Amino acid sequence: MKDRAAFDLLYRQTSAKLFGVCLRVLNDRSEAEEALQEVFVKIWTKADRFAVSDLSPISWLVAIARNHSIDRIRARKLPSTELDAAMEVADERPSPEAMAVAGGENERIYTCLEELDKDRAAAVRGAYLDGESYAELASRHSVPLNTMRTWLRRSLMKLKECLER
Amino acid sequence: MTLVDDHGPDMDRDDILAAEYVVGVLPAEERWTASARIERDAAFARIVDGWEVYFAPLGSGYAPVEAPAAAKAAIDNRLFASSTASPARDSASSAGLWSSLAFWRGLATAAVAALAIYAGSTLLRQPIQEAAAQPLFASLAAEGSDVRFLAAYHPSTGEVGLSKISGQPGADRVYELWLVEGQNAPVSMGVIPPGPATRLAVSASNRAKIAAGAVLAISVEPPGGSPTGKATGPVVAAGDLKNI
Repeated sequence: MKDRAAFDLLYRQTSAKLFGVCLRVLNDRSEAEEALQEVFVKIWTKADRFAVSDLSPISWLVAIARNHSIDRIRARKLPSTELDAAMEVADERPSPEAMAVAGGENERIYTCLEELDKDRAAAVRGAYLDGESYAELASRHSVPLNTMRTWLRRSLMKLKECLER
Repeated sequence: MTLVDDHGPDMDRDDILAAEYVVGVLPAEERWTASARIERDAAFARIVDGWEVYFAPLGSGYAPVEAPAAAKAAIDNRLFASSTASPARDSASSAGLWSSLAFWRGLATAAVAALAIYAGSTLLRQPIQEAAAQPLFASLAAEGSDVRFLAAYHPSTGEVGLSKISGQPGADRVYELWLVEGQNAPVSMGVIPPGPATRLAVSASNRAKIAAGAVLAISVEPPGGSPTGKATGPVVAAGDLKNI
């Protein structure tokens, strides 16, 4: 009963945020609702894992929702069809920069992203927020897949260097 | 897909893989492999967690969207439908979170925000005092009842702020608040005035009994409160006070 009440409180406080995560990544309301259910089942059953994470509670919950949604979208787009699907997605998504700025946060990650070339920073943000794969990013930025991978890895290395500075 | 081994001396292969996993760009098969490794390789899981921490601020870019109303019922159904077997085991394994002080303290920002919204900011107007006078919070709810309150007890003022989230006592009925300390009989804290956010002054004798772990409960009573000094109507919500 005690745990149940805590769970209810947690749901009330966080379900809108986590549904927002699922919806953004999956871009489909009914699939996002299914994902949200699975996410809260995971949270209930894997709650002990929180103890070993350095994430804040809300970030830990967002990470579960994000990773679960990305798992789902990868399962939906099998590797062979991934690129085809990416071609169709094209470029209609809202600018990730706007979202980041809207957050009004001044955490280090923002400063460090600004040190990257603009399009590479956009690729990292887009991948993170929308759950885009290498294939989708390659298509959106009109570069070959391996080039995209090289780009992103270099960007991650630069980021790390900056984040640890 | 060919792996490009262009990582420098500053980032080893696992570090790059962890970063790629966290950013979410890996193709399906590589992602499954990485997921499986997180489950069984604690060192790798720590590297992944480090990247999650770096990127976590970007999560503010996710706009909240109210979840479909049916979702919560479906979740409850999956977790709690059969009162035997697996849910009990699950709840045992999740004790780490539900009893984790750090978790609830970390969620305090969200809790305070929620309280402020529900209470029109009257509930927490006084600044949070020094450690000795930390407020205690309780979420009051019960199975099979739609009555939900959030309560905040402020030792510094000796008041309990109550914020109603849902529930109506019905015609000619009131909600009464009770304090249950240990095995003792519930003692009345008074009738809860109608309205979304209210305060009750706590008597000196009750103040002495309030501590983390004590339970607040709400029963349905005739106008003016229980005539007997004991709860006469059904208990529609209860929750224990937590020091978050």
